[in-house]
Amino acid sequence: MNSRIRDYINDLFHNAPMTKKAVDLKEEMIVNAEEKYKDLLAGGYREEDAISAVVNSIGNLEELFRELEREENEYIYMEMEMQIRQKKALYTAIAIGIYIFALVVFMFFCVMGDMFSSMWYMDSLPLVGFIIALLLCIAPTCMLVYVSQLLPKESRRKERRTEGYQEWNERGARSKELRKAISSVIWLLTLIIYFLFSFGTGAWHITWIIFLIAACVESIVHIIFPKNK
Amino acid sequence: MSITSDLLRGHTETIILASLWEQDSYGYEINKEIMRKTDNTYELKEATLYTAFRRLEQAGCIKTYWGNETVGARRRYYSITSSGRESYRTRKADWEEAKRMIDKLLI
Repeated sequence: MNSRIRDYINDLFHNAPMTKKAVDLKEEMIVNAEEKYKDLLAGGYREEDAISAVVNSIGNLEELFRELEREENEYIYMEMEMQIRQKKALYTAIAIGIYIFALVVFMFFCVMGDMFSSMWYMDSLPLVGFIIALLLCIAPTCMLVYVSQLLPKESRRKERRTEGYQEWNERGARSKELRKAISSVIWLLTLIIYFLFSFGTGAWHITWIIFLIAACVESIVHIIFPKNK
Repeated sequence: MSITSDLLRGHTETIILASLWEQDSYGYEINKEIMRKTDNTYELKEATLYTAFRRLEQAGCIKTYWGNETVGARRRYYSITSSGRESYRTRKADWEEAKRMIDKLLI
């Protein structure tokens, strides 16, 4: 006799998202509805009237279903964010490892250059080592630029009120990442030019000025890409 | 009765917190109490009730647990949390304030 209520509610939930929360909610609703039905019968209602009353008291479940779906989507987005964050961490670690490796390679060539400095054309070994080290730096630099662009997708806003602020914040974050990438490129180029000039002209007492120039260039970049857009 | 029902629906969460103040309860019992207190003039739709439950739970104002009924199917109980009690005090104060202001504006 009670299964009419259960069937009706099962029917209502055909549009519901397929989540555990929806199933729990359905069970809760059925239990409450059946208790109401029993109370109405005990209060003298006829079966048909009691069923109508229970059905009428339920109302429109659409908004409820949409909120359930929103919760589920948020959960999925959070999981995706986690995965992306792990990827970022891995790539950054590998990049730093390769940078250190490049440095070691360069130092190795310097040592070799020292040891065999008397031998024929061995004193360009440090330069060779430097070039090899720089070539090795291409890969980690590309990785870091890739990682800095690998932002998590815009997660559904939890509170619609803060929508404007979050968008502004994310835009700010993107231009910050861009600035960081440009900064690191500037300094890498500076290093390259510094060593090329120094090894080439041997004028180490002058070429350090290039670092001051690089600082100026970076300031100019900061002016072009201000922190607050 | 339409403005009244809108007002009441806007305060559903506060009403639920009030009914959970003294003791834990479940969906139908809360609705029954509301009907009793309003002399059967106001009945919350189940959809409204459950939406309010979700919001309160997400805001940390209430906790939920399954009862272990000996007879019949298991019910879902709700209990108010300490932050729920705080939230209730704030909401009640807001309502008092709104009531005062509207009374001042009306002749």
